[in-house]
Amino acid sequence: MSASAPINTAVDLGGIALRNPVLTASGTFGYGTEFGPFLDLRRIGGFVAKSLTLEPRHGNLPARIVETPAGMLNAIGLENVGVDAFVREKLPALPDGVPVVASVFGSEPASYAEVCKRLTGVPRVAGLEINASCPHVKSGGIEFGQDPTLLADLVRATRSATNLPLLIKLSPNVTSIAEMARVCEDQGADGISLINTLQALEVDLATRRPALRNVLGGLSGPAIRPVALRMVWQASRAVAIPICGIGGIATAEDALKFLLCGASAVQVGTANYTNPMAAAEVADGIVAWCAANGVARVADLVGTLEVPE
Amino acid sequence: MDAEVAAHADAGGPNRRLRLRVADWPGFAPGQFAMLSAGARGSAQRDDPLLPRPMAVYREHAVPGGSEVEILYKVHGRGTALLADARPGDRVRLLGPLGRPFPDPPAGGRAILVGGGTGIASLYELAARAQGEVLVLLGARSADDLMGRDDFAALGVSLDVASEDGSAGRRGLVTDLLAEALEEGGAPSVYACGPTPMMRAAAELASRASAATWVSLENPMACGFGVCLGCAAPLAGGGFGLVCRDGPVFDAAAIDWENLA
Repeated sequence: MSASAPINTAVDLGGIALRNPVLTASGTFGYGTEFGPFLDLRRIGGFVAKSLTLEPRHGNLPARIVETPAGMLNAIGLENVGVDAFVREKLPALPDGVPVVASVFGSEPASYAEVCKRLTGVPRVAGLEINASCPHVKSGGIEFGQDPTLLADLVRATRSATNLPLLIKLSPNVTSIAEMARVCEDQGADGISLINTLQALEVDLATRRPALRNVLGGLSGPAIRPVALRMVWQASRAVAIPICGIGGIATAEDALKFLLCGASAVQVGTANYTNPMAAAEVADGIVAWCAANGVARVADLVGTLEVPE
Repeated sequence: MDAEVAAHADAGGPNRRLRLRVADWPGFAPGQFAMLSAGARGSAQRDDPLLPRPMAVYREHAVPGGSEVEILYKVHGRGTALLADARPGDRVRLLGPLGRPFPDPPAGGRAILVGGGTGIASLYELAARAQGEVLVLLGARSADDLMGRDDFAALGVSLDVASEDGSAGRRGLVTDLLAEALEEGGAPSVYACGPTPMMRAAAELASRASAATWVSLENPMACGFGVCLGCAAPLAGGGFGLVCRDGPVFDAAAIDWENLA
């Protein structure tokens, strides 16, 4: 190829057509408009909005976050405006030309399904991502994504509620991510997003208390990147549906590693906090790397990790 | 976003005075803050410590080709220790100015500014720009910890100081000074920034004196522009306000102090 040939960056994520493989992760990009002063949203592939519940939620008492080595813990408590306000107020405020993936959260499969229904047919919503890291009320707080039977129920319920591209965002707090990935595929999901945050605890020694009011929080940031890469690689070998890789991605090099391990697209999360232009810089950097390495089509990189026999 | 270290000097004890050259600085209002990267940024991505630090904008200075933003801060953790190593010419990431400022003190009225520890840095510009009568009360653990005393003194405002060990000003808490100042009567406006127990005590004293009270909160935050939701402060009327977006300055009566971490 000539040095000036354009790189084809388009990817398909379970039926969601993206101009490039870089999205932003749910909970780290608000409802999109917050980044208006920093970033032209048309530079990124798309964004996943903050998880929506049927009713608005206020979230947890402080302290909600704490910095940890190369990362942070959060226990925000799913503060959100609720699905109806999202459709009525937040979506119309977004600029055109950026695919919006709505993230869905609930306490029961039925409430997840109802949120899915309310988002289906809404013009700006390109797809749904089911946040399977919610504690299941009837099972004493175990996450949907931690139990194959609960997960199957959840995927089945949401699949039957929408014809939109359906991604399932998996919890990493499991023994076998491959098993959970297969459950999603078997129940008709169009793709898988992983990983959500790792369940974690930090302690304030001076007060002898947990650093977070919620006691436990979710670990994110560069600290979890190798764990995420491992899980993406294992999941990609277990299923044929596309995978969206998430976990500590801050640079184009990070994103490219996820593509090699089998991710068709990636999400930038915590890096949006430390650098509000991070996602656009990752997208630009992927193009630069492809140009420097003779790669004409980004999708050709997916799953090309060379594992010695 | 990108700022160059123009000057960096000791400011007594653990305190440092940092001047950053910023090309497109739009100017700030008293009480606003900026997110500063933990330390200077080299060619490599820094992962640890990860998060930028919210810091009050202390002052600004017009210079040829832009502005210099002055930050007065205390070295007390890994992020600020790294920042303390930044030398002139080094670059840091700066996002700001951010947040809602203090309301202007009433032109004809009396304003009492109460600063504790690093919270003092939020108050300098308010004192400098106030039109009416200003009393500044500063508190710290010791003389070493006390920030900006000479700067405030140079403004010519009334100034009183307390320290917990008695090494600067009166031995005691800055809120002791506030209690006495409020006894002098009138209905001043009170502006407070410092540790949460200090602000809560100041708010209670001022409330008893029927004084309007504004506090600038210092909750930890990851982003500074309303997306991480980490800095949420519980409100007396229910729900939360984000310190970065709805604050950092709040009407003290609007805060649910019992549940503020």
